[in-house]
Amino acid sequence: MGAITDQELLARLPDTLIDHDNKEFYRGWLERRLVLNRCADCGFWHHAPRAWCPQCWSHNVVPTEVSGRGTVHLLIFLHQGPPAPGVDYSTPHPVATIELAEQEGLRIQSTIVNCARDDMRIGMPVKLTWVERYGAPYPVFEPAEA
Amino acid sequence: MFRNPIKDKIAFVGVGSTGFFRDANARTRNDMAIEASIKAIRDAGLGQADIDGVVGTAPAAREIVEALGLPKVTHFSNQPMPLVFGVVDAMNAVFSGAAETVLMYHALYRAPAISRSAANDPFRRGLGFGGSPAPAPTRHDPEVLGAEGYAAWMSRYFHEFNAPREVLGMIAVNERSGAVKNPLAAMREPITMDDYLSARMVREPLCLLDMDVPVDGADAFVITTAERAKDMPHKPVLIHAATNGITARNKEENLDGLRHHGQHVVLEALRAKSDIWIPDIDVYFPYDGFTPITLQWIENTGWCKPGEGYDFLKDNWDEANQRIMIDGRIPMNTHGGNHSEGGTQGSGHIREAITQLRGDAGERQVAGAKNAFLTPGGMFFNAQGLVLRTD
Repeated sequence: MGAITDQELLARLPDTLIDHDNKEFYRGWLERRLVLNRCADCGFWHHAPRAWCPQCWSHNVVPTEVSGRGTVHLLIFLHQGPPAPGVDYSTPHPVATIELAEQEGLRIQSTIVNCARDDMRIGMPVKLTWVERYGAPYPVFEPAEA
Repeated sequence: MFRNPIKDKIAFVGVGSTGFFRDANARTRNDMAIEASIKAIRDAGLGQADIDGVVGTAPAAREIVEALGLPKVTHFSNQPMPLVFGVVDAMNAVFSGAAETVLMYHALYRAPAISRSAANDPFRRGLGFGGSPAPAPTRHDPEVLGAEGYAAWMSRYFHEFNAPREVLGMIAVNERSGAVKNPLAAMREPITMDDYLSARMVREPLCLLDMDVPVDGADAFVITTAERAKDMPHKPVLIHAATNGITARNKEENLDGLRHHGQHVVLEALRAKSDIWIPDIDVYFPYDGFTPITLQWIENTGWCKPGEGYDFLKDNWDEANQRIMIDGRIPMNTHGGNHSEGGTQGSGHIREAITQLRGDAGERQVAGAKNAFLTPGGMFFNAQGLVLRTD
């Protein structure tokens, strides 16, 4: 971290609500690294990013890269919705809640790529990859071997 | 841990409604909020000088005070939706003496983004959810869960229990059967299970008929002490128990699971506060903004075990009237709910419960109804419970 300045971060994600709590999460996007908050005192991960650990109330929360491994926990298919680049609702568009390997209940919202619709299912192992959206990287997931 | 010193001390003494519409409507949200409020205050036999508390969702309480010309108000606040947030604030205000008689209101207004006829109304430009000004635009990512969270957790339910879609279809048909008999309802054409199963998918596994209908309209209520209520025009409807409930993990994707969320907190508190429980009730109002919410309330309230909702609904299905009739006796959402009366975030459930307990529900009337059990709200950050009764 540090290579991408605050000014560059704000310039490359101009329509995203970035603040002091989530700036490292989004800076990670630009570096194609998925960075979530972890408490340096008790080890507890949380998401969305907050300044205080919800488990032990420590302020010693450190943005930390995750492995990108996880499983599909929830899975829906959107048949309509507001336009977004690269999103095709006619297919329809899969929206997945991924439970990350780092901790039970540590989840992130994303979509699934490189997978036939009929092969997508709750419980499938996935791994992180990246697509371009609104001119910047965006974290998505693809099938992984168990 | 669960005290309830307010039990039966506060009463609903007035109701008013505009009814609900989904077609073109050249009225404002304020216009309808004021109409419902005037109707509710008149229904209670009161006037401007009698109202010293105002609690609502939107518009702002101070606007309603000015619009109604209320001369002296000592408690006013705006609360989130659904309506039990407002009920709890209003009843506590009366119980504490912050106010003697509280007007409670809720107005719905379709935004251009969710309704074709609203999009064609140039005077709604710039309005967002509920008719409040839309927030500044940001990038849109369809992966962000809002209301989609209900579809997402229903995907988990289907994964865990392998239930057929008919479990939701029975709820949808039940709601519509209620609305058919409700003159205030927006959706009054009957639907069948075939209609449900062939409706287009929107947020798969949820289809168009799993979702409530966006409407324009308003409901209002008047609340005062049970003591004062005895001398007022209508049979008082007493607030027996009321609660809200939330867990630490309440963001849609972060929920612990289908067996631990806001509904469980509500039900534990309500069970401890209320002398009336489900075997004693005469009419039942589980929330139905999305059909999975209703299914979750039914299972979590203990009518059946988790995952057994389909068998429960089949066993309690009134085929002749195309509705759920629990134990052959207890109907559910007799007015059609958010699903078919209109998406009122629970004000419709409360209004219909009061109407039923007063004995004023016409062809929907449950004979001799004395106890109503309401569970407004979803699973994430707005689950609520309310037990109403009459003598």
